[in-house]
Amino acid sequence: MIQRVLRQSPARAESSSGRAESAVPVRLENVSHEYGTGGGRFGSGPDRTVTALRDVTISCARGEIVGLEGPSGSGKSTILHAIAGLLVPTDGSVEVLGTNLATRSSRERTRLRRRHVGIVFQRFHLLPSLSARANVALPLVQLGVARSKRRSRATALLEQVGLADRVTHLPRELSGGERQRVAIARSLAADPDVIVADEPTGELDTATGTDVLELLTDVGHDRAVVIASHDDDTLAAADRVVTLRDGVVVSDGG
Amino acid sequence: MSAGRRSVKIRAVGGIAFAQLRRSPSRTALAVLAVALAVLSVTLLASLGAGVVAMGEDGLDTADRDLWLSSEPVDPAASGTENPVVGSHGIAAELTQRDDISGASPIAMHDVYVGTDPDDLERRPAVGVQRTHDGFDFEEGGGFETPDSAYDGARSTTPQQSEIVLDPAVADALDVSVGETVYVGTSRESAPQYEFTVVGISSYYSQFLGQDAVTLPLVDLQAVAGTTGTDRSTFITANVTDDADRDAVRDELDEEYPDYDVRTSEEQVGAMLEERPIVVASGLTLIGLSVVGGVVLTVNLFALVTYHQRTELAALRAIGLSRGVLAGTVGAQGLGIGVLGGLVGLAATVPIVRGLNHIAVSVVGFEEVLQTPLEVYAVGFAVAVGLGTIVAVVVGWRAGRYARIEHLE
Repeated sequence: MIQRVLRQSPARAESSSGRAESAVPVRLENVSHEYGTGGGRFGSGPDRTVTALRDVTISCARGEIVGLEGPSGSGKSTILHAIAGLLVPTDGSVEVLGTNLATRSSRERTRLRRRHVGIVFQRFHLLPSLSARANVALPLVQLGVARSKRRSRATALLEQVGLADRVTHLPRELSGGERQRVAIARSLAADPDVIVADEPTGELDTATGTDVLELLTDVGHDRAVVIASHDDDTLAAADRVVTLRDGVVVSDGG
Repeated sequence: MSAGRRSVKIRAVGGIAFAQLRRSPSRTALAVLAVALAVLSVTLLASLGAGVVAMGEDGLDTADRDLWLSSEPVDPAASGTENPVVGSHGIAAELTQRDDISGASPIAMHDVYVGTDPDDLERRPAVGVQRTHDGFDFEEGGGFETPDSAYDGARSTTPQQSEIVLDPAVADALDVSVGETVYVGTSRESAPQYEFTVVGISSYYSQFLGQDAVTLPLVDLQAVAGTTGTDRSTFITANVTDDADRDAVRDELDEEYPDYDVRTSEEQVGAMLEERPIVVASGLTLIGLSVVGGVVLTVNLFALVTYHQRTELAALRAIGLSRGVLAGTVGAQGLGIGVLGGLVGLAATVPIVRGLNHIAVSVVGFEEVLQTPLEVYAVGFAVAVGLGTIVAVVVGWRAGRYARIEHLE
């Protein structure tokens, strides 16, 4: 039922292409990423280079949920940010729906993310001044969708994530689980092909986390979903788990 | 981008900005107050400037004279004004004989010592005029008339009329009323020699001078000042006939009396201001500082707010909102604050000007010291919009700066 509603997006009808439907949604090949520490605040400290990812190759098919597992600093978030086009790796290719983001400009990456990638954050990051519906509708603003269509789309998404009676509530009036549901609904607003979720249950209790995972599993039915987490219960919901240590893939498919 | 999509975004940006402002009413009120204070300082200072100029013009207009002949711009507020016009009665007589001038009269200013006790004299500005008139609006008593002989050059080195008109504050300070006698002189030593009878109480020339003044016949003032021989005055005023062109007469007189400047009332005020570049520069500096202060206060406030919102901004950027939309959202808040603060500042100008004028009347005795013509409101509103725009640009730029991935971690 959720899929039916989520695939009714006017934005998707405008943005989808044959290539987008046929290409592997997410493919990282030999991705490495380094960043410098900048030599201290005033340039007086040692100038160090930190390797966040080293020769990482992973992929995620449509309808598949891939879990990224590993301790803090192992490179999970860096992979999610690379898939979302929020950063360009030092080396390797990051293909999303057949487009290599590593060769695209910031504007092009943002445009692709806007239409094809939904993001769920650990801390929800909802705009506190806006209602749940307005938060969900935010990505559609950038797509130029008219207000009435934004509202009906956002209302439908909130109904589908079980928040029909919370449409006009502000984030502070919602529980943690409800906020994450709003964030998931927001990530689905543009009907993306790929969803990346960074510790989506990290701020939630076990029962609420289970509900959110069920929701993510449900919406991931015909999308590629990549979830980064420390939590075993969350990773158990994944079809495949990739384990990272110090930026290196140590196992894939566990 | 189509016009429809742009319109959708602009409206959405406005809606989000409004929601953000409404979310933190205390912060919004503080920012509005900052802009309102900046606008208020501009409008109040401009009102003061307009009031001072208007007072000068009114003072000159009150004299009901078309032309002013002097060697330099007359500063009514200056103490101990020099009397540079020599042979003033003769010049006035020459002017009066012209067909295009209906009348001319000299006016002198001099500081005098006045009091009822020769050992307890007060220094006051004195104005020497040929006659008093209805415009004096006497609170008590009446005026004096200069004898015709004075116009013919039959002037004496000792006071002849020995009559004086006092400002109400001077009369109160000396505790005298009409009919009583006071000593008047240009020094403490000479004052006991000259007794003048108080014939009227009026603040007419005090308004012109900006100080509590006394008025006496010009020939008597020249007598006590010792300038009867040179017949000195501060300036000579003249009225042109109804059918004469005031500017043409001014130009002719300017050529005829090259040692003096001939000005209309408006030019007189303008010349007075030109003589005071420091005062004008100080006023403009104060206005500039108040505007800069308002900008800095508001920009800092919003920069702080933007910094606090950095994770939300970064998240919005991550979900696909463009940097332009983010800057627009935060910038629209700045613009809204600027315009709102401007309107509050303009609205507050009216009662505050009224209150300050009320205080000015009770403290210094001048009415309408602050005047707020429409131009002042226009300047105030322009400042508000300018402030809003600057704030919008700066905080919008900062919003884009803070919308970075690092702030999500």
